[in-house]
Amino acid sequence: MKNGSLVKLIDVHKTYRTGEMEVPAVRGVSLEIKRGEFLALMGASGSGKSTLMNILGCLDRPTSGSYFLDNADVSGLDRDQLADIRNRKIGFVFQSFNLLPRTSARENAELPLVYSTQRLSHAQLRERADRVLASVGLAGREDHPPSQLSGGQQQRVAIARALINDPEVLLADEPTGNLDSRTSVEIMAIFQQLNERGITIIMVTHEQDIAAYAQRNVVMRDGVVVDDRVVPQRSDAATQLEQPLPSTL
Amino acid sequence: MRIAPTFNVAYRALRRNKMRSVLTALGIIIGVGAVIAMVGIGNGAKAQVEAQIASLGQNVILIFSGSTTSSGIRTGWGGAGTLKIEDAEAIRREVPGVIGVSEEVVSTTQVAAGNQNWFTRIFGESADYFDIRQWPLSDGAPFTPQDVRSANKVCVIGRTTATQIYGNENPIGQILRIKNVPFTILGVLTPKGLSPQGVDQDDIVVMPYTSAMKRVSGGTTLRNINVQIGDPGQIAAAQQQIISLLRQRHNIRPGRDDDFTVRTQEEIAEAATATSRVMTVLLGAIAGVSLVVGGIGIMNIMLVSVTERTREIGVRMAVGARGNDILTQFLIEAVTLSSVGGLIGIVCGIGASALLSTYAHWPTLISIGSIAIAFLFSAAVGIFFGFYPARKAAALDPIEALRYE
Ligand SMILES: Nc1ncnc2c1ncn2[C@@H]1O[C@H](COP(=O)(O)OP(=O)(O)O)[C@@H](O)[C@H]1O
Ligand SMILES: [Mg+2]
Repeated sequence: MKNGSLVKLIDVHKTYRTGEMEVPAVRGVSLEIKRGEFLALMGASGSGKSTLMNILGCLDRPTSGSYFLDNADVSGLDRDQLADIRNRKIGFVFQSFNLLPRTSARENAELPLVYSTQRLSHAQLRERADRVLASVGLAGREDHPPSQLSGGQQQRVAIARALINDPEVLLADEPTGNLDSRTSVEIMAIFQQLNERGITIIMVTHEQDIAAYAQRNVVMRDGVVVDDRVVPQRSDAATQLEQPLPSTL
Repeated sequence: MRIAPTFNVAYRALRRNKMRSVLTALGIIIGVGAVIAMVGIGNGAKAQVEAQIASLGQNVILIFSGSTTSSGIRTGWGGAGTLKIEDAEAIRREVPGVIGVSEEVVSTTQVAAGNQNWFTRIFGESADYFDIRQWPLSDGAPFTPQDVRSANKVCVIGRTTATQIYGNENPIGQILRIKNVPFTILGVLTPKGLSPQGVDQDDIVVMPYTSAMKRVSGGTTLRNINVQIGDPGQIAAAQQQIISLLRQRHNIRPGRDDDFTVRTQEEIAEAATATSRVMTVLLGAIAGVSLVVGGIGIMNIMLVSVTERTREIGVRMAVGARGNDILTQFLIEAVTLSSVGGLIGIVCGIGASALLSTYAHWPTLISIGSIAIAFLFSAAVGIFFGFYPARKAAALDPIEALRYE
């Protein structure tokens, strides 16, 4: 497996048990994602995208099957070990931003470092948070709490938080779900820019035009992968932002 | 995990809900305040007992006429005149280990010198009195056994009496008229200050008991007998011997109550602290109940806080917080709440102690040790009652927590 694959899922199943009922949410997914890819996970509501993302993000464990992240089997790790993996290797971006309220952008961005094994001084922490915030276009907003930021700005803070610990992979579950179309393109521009710098991105979306910013689209239905294709005509968010937006967006 | 930001988070969470935090801490504030006041009163009472023991003298047994346990009429200490001078002499003669005996009669009367009058207490004693009570003279000399035998018209006086009657003049050698009998002042006692009950111990005239009985009070019985034992180990045995000697001398048949009361110094001191002990128990109960109620309040608020911040917990877990990190965070919050309450409680307790000693004249004594214990106790309450909510937070499933509305 030393072939540059960052994520490797082998016949992953996830079955939820609610009382007597068994709900199979993911039913045998095998998937390989290489370092540096930008992948969009698509499918109708209830097709198992979020469940798969939770497994990819080490928030949950598969009921059966194996998950190799960075060539290490993580499917059998315990809660604390998974927490460490999330801290070191994974950055999350959520649909609803999930920033801590009444907490400055800087402190939100610093959050993963609070739980890091790295020992950084207060000044180093601050310096790093400010640098990452600047890289997502939030220089000058470091002291603003989420309530003083627009939706797009809040999502940028969330991206900064996801990036601060130099993760192997950025996981985004419907990152544009709560944003208007112009702001969505701005967020996609940031994703494409990060991806060009070599960051692997896995993004869930059910919108075709958002998926078109990725390199590869994987489509799920009823817990299995039904399509896996390279995007033929990739949209380029940066150029779109320079032009007046097409009405389809 | 980094601890400093965690304290910061706890501090801000508490400050955000200021009123709620204060109300929650109130139980702890009252509890710790009561602990501080309680220990203050307890220590004050202990110091009082020590002072009392010291003021009685050393290795002293007191014998009062009258019984405290008499089944019929409760005559009380010194009530019925059953103690005779001969009883004291018998004790001096027959009880082993006795090194001093003082026959005591007490009366209150007007004394005069020149045109000065003063109302004071007259103590009739033997010459052993000054040794028994360890009460030396600051000036002059005590009266002698010869003065006692001859019932001489001599006395020594306390500092207050001296100042009241003679001002700055030297009273030694002066004549003090008591019931129109002229007494020569031989000496002035060293000042003792207020007794633990607030009586001025220096407002006193001490004279041979023979003189007091013959010339001042006129009675034939003693109010009490002060006995000093040489070896502290012999006090209990001596107490028993005094009881049987007096029963025999007073012809008390077996089964009947004593017509006298024998108390050691410790017994008297204990009786004197009974009230403060009741107060201590009462405050202890308040403290205990308040700390438990306060603890439950903290638990309640922390549970509310965990629910309110479920999403925050989910986010923290998603970015790598372990269960233990979340546990620590909420424990720190609970402990901050309880120990800040504890600090305020300590201030209130010190204030309450000060009020008690100023207005109720309770002797109180606040020690650094009791402050430290109260503080640790309040922190412990935070840990104990914060643990359940904190563990609940730590056990949350990150996915569920992130989805929580
Ligand atoms: N915690 C859960 N307990 C029970 N069933 C669940 C749970 N989470 C998801 N499911 C079910 O699993 C299926 C897949 O859900 P999900 O992965 O959220 O789909 P998607 O994100 O594609 O909309 C759905 O049928 C959903 O009802
Ligand atoms: Mg979903």
